Amino acid sequence: MRFSIPRYWRERHSHYRLYAKKCSKCGRVNYPPSNICRYCGSTELEDYYLDREKAKIISWTIIYPAPEGFEEQRPRIIALLETLETKTRIIAPLTDILPEEIKEGLIVEPVLRRIKEDREAGLIHYAIAYRPVIGSIGTNKQ
Amino acid sequence: MRPETSVGIIGWGSYIPRWRLPLSEIAKLWGFAPETPRGLNVVEKAVAGRDEDAVTMGWEAARNALLRAGIDPKEIGAVWFGTESKPYAVKPSATIIAEALGITPDTMATDLEFACRAGSEALRISIGAVASGLVKYALVIGSDTAQANPGDILEFTASSAATALITGPAREAAAVFEASYTYVTDTPDFWRRAHQPYPLHGEGFTGEPAYFHHIVSAVKGLLEQTGLKVDDFDYAVFHQPNGKYPLAVAKRLGFPKEKVLPGLVTPYIGNSYNSSALIGLSRVLDIAKPGQRILLAPFGSGAGSDAYSIVVTDKIIEKQDKAPRVDDYLNRKYLIDYATYAKFRGIITRIR
Repeated sequence: MRFSIPRYWRERHSHYRLYAKKCSKCGRVNYPPSNICRYCGSTELEDYYLDREKAKIISWTIIYPAPEGFEEQRPRIIALLETLETKTRIIAPLTDILPEEIKEGLIVEPVLRRIKEDREAGLIHYAIAYRPVIGSIGTNKQ
Repeated sequence: MRPETSVGIIGWGSYIPRWRLPLSEIAKLWGFAPETPRGLNVVEKAVAGRDEDAVTMGWEAARNALLRAGIDPKEIGAVWFGTESKPYAVKPSATIIAEALGITPDTMATDLEFACRAGSEALRISIGAVASGLVKYALVIGSDTAQANPGDILEFTASSAATALITGPAREAAAVFEASYTYVTDTPDFWRRAHQPYPLHGEGFTGEPAYFHHIVSAVKGLLEQTGLKVDDFDYAVFHQPNGKYPLAVAKRLGFPKEKVLPGLVTPYIGNSYNSSALIGLSRVLDIAKPGQRILLAPFGSGAGSDAYSIVVTDKIIEKQDKAPRVDDYLNRKYLIDYATYAKFRGIITRIR
C-alpha cells in the first residue's frame, strides 16, 4: 500500500463532505476545521459541512506533470473557490470541465468523485471535486 | 389492504455523466454495419468519466432524491445499493454513499446483485421494511457503469447512469405504491463469471425466454392481482436494454407507444443497467401530474422482472423542481471519441 489507510479513514468527513467548523460568534467558516476561530479567536464553533454550498471560481491552475496515483486524470485542474453562502475560500479539483471552458466567476457545485487509487488492489479514495452547475456550460453537439 | 398502499416515493433523483459516445464510433472501429445503432434505436451512450464509478454516480442520484425528499438524512434507516459494477468486489458501496450523505451510523446498508434488477429488488424490499415499521425511510439506488466486451454487440448499449428513490410513509409521498409483483426463474441469458472483466450473453436468447417472458409474466401477474387494466395506466416504463425492446413488449401487452415514450431514456444514453427502468420512472415523475398511474417493470438477467403500480399524489408538484430533472442531465452532454471512452472506462491496459 502506498497510501495510509488510517489517514484516509480519519479524514473521511473532510474528503466526503468538506467538514468544517462555523464560528458561533463571528459566523465565519473555518476550513480546515479548527477548535479556535482563526478570525476572531472564539472557542464557540459548531460542525459545518461545505458540501451544501455552491461556489464560484476565483482562480485556477492546470497541472500537467501528474503526481503518483493521478496519472489517468492528467491534466489536473485545481481551483481557488469561494462558496456562495458563507464566502469560504477553498482549494479543490475541478471535474467534468475542459481547460478551455474554465472562466473566472463560473459557478460550480460539489460532487463526490474518485480522487486517486492505491494501484490495482488497494483502496479507492473518494473526495469532493467541483463541476460546473448543470446547464452552465455548453455542448459540442453537431 | 395490501402493504404497498402504506408506502410511497418521498424523493427521486437521477444522474447521467456528461460524456457521450456516438454509437457510430463503435460501428466504425469494430466494422459493424453503419445502420446497427439505428436497428437498436440508440444514438449515443453515456460514459462515466475517469473519476466516476457506480458509487459516485449513485451518490449524486441519491443527493438529488434527498433534495426532493426534504428529510434529515439521519432519518433514513436503510441504504440499499443495486449494481453489477461495484468498485470493490468485497467492501460495501452502500456504506461509502451512506457516510458521504451523512446517513451513517444508525442505518442498514448493503449492496444487492441481480444483474439489472438488483435495485428493483431493493425497492420491493424497502416497501416491506417501510410498511412493517422497521424503518421510516429507505434509500434505494440503482447505479451502473455497465461493462461490455469491446467489439461485442453489447458495447453499443452498455452505458453509465444512476437513479435513487427514497421510500417512506404514503402520507408524505409524491407517488404511492398500489401493488407490486415479482416473477423470477433460472434463465441463463446473461452472466459474468468471477474475475472476468466482461459479461457474456446468449445473443437472441436474451429476448424471448428472458426479457419478454419475464416482463410479460410480471405485468400480467400484477394486472390479475389488482384487477387493473392496461387502460388504467397513464405511463408504462419497462427495462430498456435498447430502444426497441420496451416498445415491443408494450405492444405485446397492449400499451400504446405514447404511454411508453416519456419514460424511454435508452435511445439517448444507452442501457444503464440497474438505472435503466428506474431512470425511466424518474423522468416520468419529473413531469407526472397528481392522480396519474404509472406501470413500472424492471427486468434483470438470470432472470426476473418486477411490476409495480404507482399512483401520483398532489405532493409531486412541489418536489419536481427541487433537484435537476433527467432532461437537464440529458441536455448536459459532450461528445467524445472511442479513444477517450476507452481511457475513461479503463479498456486500455496500463501497468499501475
